[in-house]
Amino acid sequence: MTTVSHASRASRALRLAFHGGGLSYRALFNWTTPPMFIGTLLVGPLFQIFFFVHVGRSLHVADDRFYLLGNAVLATSMPCVYGAIMAVANERRFGTLGAVLLSPRSRGLIWGGRVLPYAVNGLAVMTFMMLVGALVLGLTLPPSTLLGLAQVFVVAAMSCALFGLALGALAVRIRDVYVISNAAFTLLILFSGANLPPESMPGWMNAIGSFLPLHHAIEALRALFAGASFGEVWSALVLEVAVALGYAALAYGLLRFFEWRSRANAALDVM
Amino acid sequence: MTTDLAIEAENLARSYRTRTGWLRPQRKTIEAVRGVHLAVGRGELFGLLGPNGAGKTTTIKMLNTLLLPTSGTARILGYDVARDALEVRRRIGYVFGGDRGLYERLSALDNLRYFAELYGVEPREQLPRIQELLETVGLSGREKERVEGYSRGMRQKLHIARGLLHRPQVLFLDEPSIGVDPAAARELRRVVADLVAGGTTVLLTTHYMAEADELCDRIAVIASGTLRAEGTPAELKDRVRKLDVLEVEVHDAVGPEHLQRLRDTAGIEQATVETSGTVDVVTVHARPSHGTHAAVLAALADLRTGKVTTREPTLEDAYLSIINGTTTGSA
Amino acid sequence: MALPTRRDVHRFWRLMAVGVRTHVLYLSRSGLELVMAVFAPIVFATLAVYLFRAGDQPDRLLQAAVGAGLMGVWSAVLFGGGGAIQEQRWMGTLETLVAAPTRLSLVLLPITFATAVVGMYSLIATVAWGVVLFGIPLTPASPLLFVPAMLVCVVALGMMGLLMAATFVLLRNANSLANGLEYPVWMFSGVLVSTATLPEWTRPITWALPTSWAARAVQAATGGGEVVWPSAVALGLGLAYVALALVALVWVERRARGTGTLALT
Repeated sequence: MTTVSHASRASRALRLAFHGGGLSYRALFNWTTPPMFIGTLLVGPLFQIFFFVHVGRSLHVADDRFYLLGNAVLATSMPCVYGAIMAVANERRFGTLGAVLLSPRSRGLIWGGRVLPYAVNGLAVMTFMMLVGALVLGLTLPPSTLLGLAQVFVVAAMSCALFGLALGALAVRIRDVYVISNAAFTLLILFSGANLPPESMPGWMNAIGSFLPLHHAIEALRALFAGASFGEVWSALVLEVAVALGYAALAYGLLRFFEWRSRANAALDVM
Repeated sequence: MTTDLAIEAENLARSYRTRTGWLRPQRKTIEAVRGVHLAVGRGELFGLLGPNGAGKTTTIKMLNTLLLPTSGTARILGYDVARDALEVRRRIGYVFGGDRGLYERLSALDNLRYFAELYGVEPREQLPRIQELLETVGLSGREKERVEGYSRGMRQKLHIARGLLHRPQVLFLDEPSIGVDPAAARELRRVVADLVAGGTTVLLTTHYMAEADELCDRIAVIASGTLRAEGTPAELKDRVRKLDVLEVEVHDAVGPEHLQRLRDTAGIEQATVETSGTVDVVTVHARPSHGTHAAVLAALADLRTGKVTTREPTLEDAYLSIINGTTTGSA
Repeated sequence: MALPTRRDVHRFWRLMAVGVRTHVLYLSRSGLELVMAVFAPIVFATLAVYLFRAGDQPDRLLQAAVGAGLMGVWSAVLFGGGGAIQEQRWMGTLETLVAAPTRLSLVLLPITFATAVVGMYSLIATVAWGVVLFGIPLTPASPLLFVPAMLVCVVALGMMGLLMAATFVLLRNANSLANGLEYPVWMFSGVLVSTATLPEWTRPITWALPTSWAARAVQAATGGGEVVWPSAVALGLGLAYVALALVALVWVERRARGTGTLALT
């Protein structure tokens, strides 16, 4: 009896996380139409790669591979940061946040499930960037790197999406949350290490970067392509996982805190 | 150009093509308005009534040049809405209900100054005109506050002030009283009545029958994109005056089978049910006959019935019977 | 068509003044715009300065800061213009703008110039941050032409913005276009680094963009070179874009009325 109810509880939890997450992606992500998806998630980041490759070549900062790897991973911040923020902020715009918070279900599953579609989206975007970028720039993807590549991408996408969710949590209270998303996005361009070689970044920049998502993932990917061992790659990835877990905890804490505060102050539907 | 008509529409129609799905798109054509004829004289207050999605807003948007008709023609003060859009726009005002349509982060004054410029109000006249309008709609003293802090009623007043900046000869009011409290709605009716007294032609859409009854010189009822009836409020009420309205309180749940039984009864034109509090109220429109009362109660025999009242038909009764297509003859 | 009278000319300038004031005021009251206006120039100045330092041109830091500022001008015009139209569609004011008895091009021009003014600010702020944070000496090669070249750049981009605005009015999803156009224009107009190393086939794109010529003029005023000639080409191209936009807008307005894409609902 208990095993059955355990199983059914687990399946209901999975259903809430995956099915609910998928539905919320369709309902709240503004960029699912083909023009938006292609323009914003594919063409924009692809030209970001080419732009920095061009800058790198002109100024003799670093080679093409350096910029391709960095900016391919950075491309995941488009769906993950903006998407996860929309997953909370649009609830407020549509006036549905109150209805969601009335749910008796686990907050971790409701919000955590919402991150998954964006992480998957981020994975697809990174893969596209890597393939098309390498093809256009005439770089090779050695088969030996593919397994490591997949690991880095999964960790990077999850980490970035959880970062987005933590920022999105602020949308429960802050009206103009896109201030934060735009700022975060710009910060990642500077601090992630995608566009500046670590040795030419000052210490404070590297320090800030190491607390932001993608910094360690980009490091791991570059190590992988430089022929480092799995152990070396994973020592960077473990740091990325730690950053991701930190943002997950922050997101959960903020969402619970703001939910409680909103009830206390009746500030839920100020907009 | 001289014409006695402020608004003329002949066979005005509009369809939308929609596409859903990207991989296998399904195309559908929606006929929002199908062949509407309108003739509104100068200085008239003309009401356009109809259920949601009946085509009221589409009609208004064709008349105020925002949408091109797919067929038919319309003229405002003699100017064609499709060809002479600029001439039409100089002479019309457009006010719509709801929260949208204003620059939220600007003050009412800045909103009005900007639109005064866009509407081509003479520079020297702009400030006095704005002050005058703020006075008229009752926003004086609040004009320096940002619109984001305004209530629905205040926004509506600002909408109206904006629509009147360039002293339009024809004013389109699309559900101006939606979501506005009764006091503000009465204020609004006063402003509209004053405008008409001053010679402005007004085309008004509304869901509030009392408002239409009080204000409008003539009313057209539109449903599913076609005009179902047109006339003065009194004429429309006359169409149902030859019917009695019977209201029966019922203490059990009224099912569709009861309504069907009522509608099948000879002499009964229409039967509707509405739940109010703990009772269902069945409203029956019937041709006057001594047997009606008994026949209605017989149809509801298996239910516990309470108070039965007979009353004069209102504009709402007329409206309901028109959109349900049950009235006979035309006004 | 009759020639414009003095009254028309007067009205045009008044409309521009009131319109630019309204939209700059409106933009300046958005937290989003404010934060980005302060934040983006710092980030881009920092990125450009470190890139130039990491590369082989650490002596051209003023060019780096100016280049980063020019990137900001393009972002401001692109997202400002696009965002303004999109936001007005959401707010429901786009319909009231079209329903006004003023030509749509005259309604939109102040909006694009307001975004160019924001871009101008961003250019100045980026250079100022470069000077303050990184101690870059503000010693342009042509001190007298530096400011006029920047003004020409803003005007040329404002004019280019009108054509962008026309597409934004027409397309409901125009911000997808904007998101996809930021980096290509930076790259093909050589705002940060020269286009000399780009493949030969990209030359026509570079020549057709007013941003290329405006950037070339500003960079020449900064680091030395011909300023007047590229400025004139930038203005000429800007005027050509306005002419194109005027033709396009007549069609766009008719089409938007035909398809009913002015409102969201």
